Amino acid sequence: MKKIKLEISGMHCASCASNVERSLKKIPAVKKASVSVLLNKGMLECEENISEEELVKAVKRAGYNVRKIIYD
Amino acid sequence: MIKKHEHHIEHVHDASQSEIPENPEYAHHHDTPIENWEITQWKRKVIGSWLFAVPIAIFMIITRFFMMDILPENIMIIILLIVSFPVVFIFGWTTIKGGMRGFFTFYFNMDSLIALGTLVAYFTGIFSLFFEIQDYSGISAMIMAFYITGKYVEVKARGRASQEIRKLLKLGAKKARVLRNGQEIEISIEEVAVGDVMVIKPGEKIPTDGIVIKGESAVNESMITGESLPVDKKKGSNVTGATINQDGILYVRATKIGKDTFLSHIIQLVEEAQGSKVPIQVLADKITSIFVPAVLILAVLTFGGWFYFTQNLSRAFSVAISVLVIACPCALGLATPTALMVGSGMGAKRGILIRKGEAIQTIREVKFVVFDKTGTITKGLPEVTNIYPERMESYILETAASVENLSEHPIAKAIVEKYGKRKLKSVKNFKILRGRGVEGKISNKKITIGNRTLMNEEKISLDKFESIINQFEREGKTTMIVAENKKVLGVIAVADTPKEDSVKAINALNMQGYRTIMITGDNETTARAIAKEVGIVEVIANVLPEDKARKIKELQRKGMTAFVGDGINDAPALKQSNVGIAMGTGTDIAIESGDIVLARGNLRGVVAAINLSKETFKKIKQNLFWAFAYNMVAVPLAVAGVLHPVIAEIAMALSSITVVTNANLLRKKKI
Repeated sequence: MKKIKLEISGMHCASCASNVERSLKKIPAVKKASVSVLLNKGMLECEENISEEELVKAVKRAGYNVRKIIYD
Repeated sequence: MIKKHEHHIEHVHDASQSEIPENPEYAHHHDTPIENWEITQWKRKVIGSWLFAVPIAIFMIITRFFMMDILPENIMIIILLIVSFPVVFIFGWTTIKGGMRGFFTFYFNMDSLIALGTLVAYFTGIFSLFFEIQDYSGISAMIMAFYITGKYVEVKARGRASQEIRKLLKLGAKKARVLRNGQEIEISIEEVAVGDVMVIKPGEKIPTDGIVIKGESAVNESMITGESLPVDKKKGSNVTGATINQDGILYVRATKIGKDTFLSHIIQLVEEAQGSKVPIQVLADKITSIFVPAVLILAVLTFGGWFYFTQNLSRAFSVAISVLVIACPCALGLATPTALMVGSGMGAKRGILIRKGEAIQTIREVKFVVFDKTGTITKGLPEVTNIYPERMESYILETAASVENLSEHPIAKAIVEKYGKRKLKSVKNFKILRGRGVEGKISNKKITIGNRTLMNEEKISLDKFESIINQFEREGKTTMIVAENKKVLGVIAVADTPKEDSVKAINALNMQGYRTIMITGDNETTARAIAKEVGIVEVIANVLPEDKARKIKELQRKGMTAFVGDGINDAPALKQSNVGIAMGTGTDIAIESGDIVLARGNLRGVVAAINLSKETFKKIKQNLFWAFAYNMVAVPLAVAGVLHPVIAEIAMALSSITVVTNANLLRKKKI
């Protein structure tokens, strides 16, 4: 299990955050996702084999962009 | 406008993070927080949209209230379409684009409602050129202008909500002066390595965490611990990065840099807390996630219903638009996080770090507040409390300190500390008698300092001191007997004394109706003595460290329990309790333990943390109530057709602004 922080741009309302959260949770390797519109960040708990590409794609699918991926 | 960025992700292994190339517009502002950039963007849109919307408003008022048709109808519609265009499609473009995308991806957001509402309104203008239908294009511009204005105010208020954490981010030093090959050189903070010796002059910021190797000074640590009094630092003291050196030059060896510093840990804690969820918001979050599609469906039904029953297409459009723009998922979704953000930011400023949002909800139901003794209620270091007989005090102390100065034992240190910086006598033939005491010679007099065992061994009679020694022992104090040439001079009592604020803090908790309990490994006598001094009635004594968690568990059967202890030794008890409050020392915090972490080891922080949590939770409840009530009243009113679309939009904008502003009002509370 590893913790990942995503900096996300383009979110401007609470339903945006809930969209990103929903989209991220569809990735099987993502165990927990909590996205905050106030911080412009998503906090994830993922399995070790998670691919960055998949995360970026999921955020894009909901209509937003990943600015930065930070590992704890 | 958001431009597409590349899919490519750069790997930056050192920093263990990946930078994603961002749209060029933002890239210029990489150092400023997102919010600042966002605020400027919205501000531009506000000015731009009102430049066009004000004339439209005047125009609409004139034609509506004065029934003046200045120009032929078709020309008027064309003018409105032209003037409204920039508001909706230029200044509102990101909203339209982001919102409409939802209809293709099925990820609907707030913008989807506004986009659909304004587009429908705008197109009625075009249709009205050909069909018998009311023109709402002016209204579309008004809705967009109000929406943009509302967003601008909201984003600004949100920025205020996060001001504390941004202050924390800016707190760190940018430069450091270090000694390299005997030379003082100034380097940037990133270049400082562990082991570097930093030179900090009066008035300067301490660049990073370290240990003082030379110099003495007072350091202002208020920015990190909330404690306003400066703290004295000398050789061997730990200092924290970002605190300010006040009056002396300090030479500090850096011990932690970058992500490992105290400040970085605090920032990380606060961010994590602000991103965490409070259980009460679960329902609001669920509603938020299905809210937009639900309102879209409702708007369609409203349109159908109105058209079916009134056969009036224009009216049906107007009512449906009202429904689209009045519904406000934002108020619901922002209710909890903004209050949590303001609350945790306020805490951070005072050295109270709320790690989990859950804690602020749980803390309201806490009945028992259990304190660890050593290091939590007490200072954790022995201090001289009595010297007997008093008339001999200075002589006993001088003699004892001179001998004990050669020992490293905590009790010896307490005696030397009490004596202060006065001149010590020279001591010969110093010897440590393990477990019993010390001895030495001062100008040919043999000095023996130690416990009963030592005195018995040395055949020194305690006679008239016997009763006072017994009394000190009953009070839970350790007694050192000082003898000169085999004759007792007097006794020094040493004890681990309560911190200055413990009494006040525990009193405050008792007054608020909490049952305060002390838990300790000490024997009953010592424990009772301390408990009495600080105002705790219940004591659980003789508890082995590993059994603390079990004792907490027993209490939990009777009610919610909060545990206050240091994060290092008490981790299991902190975890077991419903709310674990970990005490830091001002230089180190145990991140993993505790739901609430106090940066400074002071019990007043416990009272403040409880009050802050309660106030924050109250705000959350107010906000949620407001957000639910707003939507439950406003949406049906819109469906009923009693609200003009522009009024609906204003109401929506105000509702989310209200929630964020109300959260910011938390700052007015005295904690």
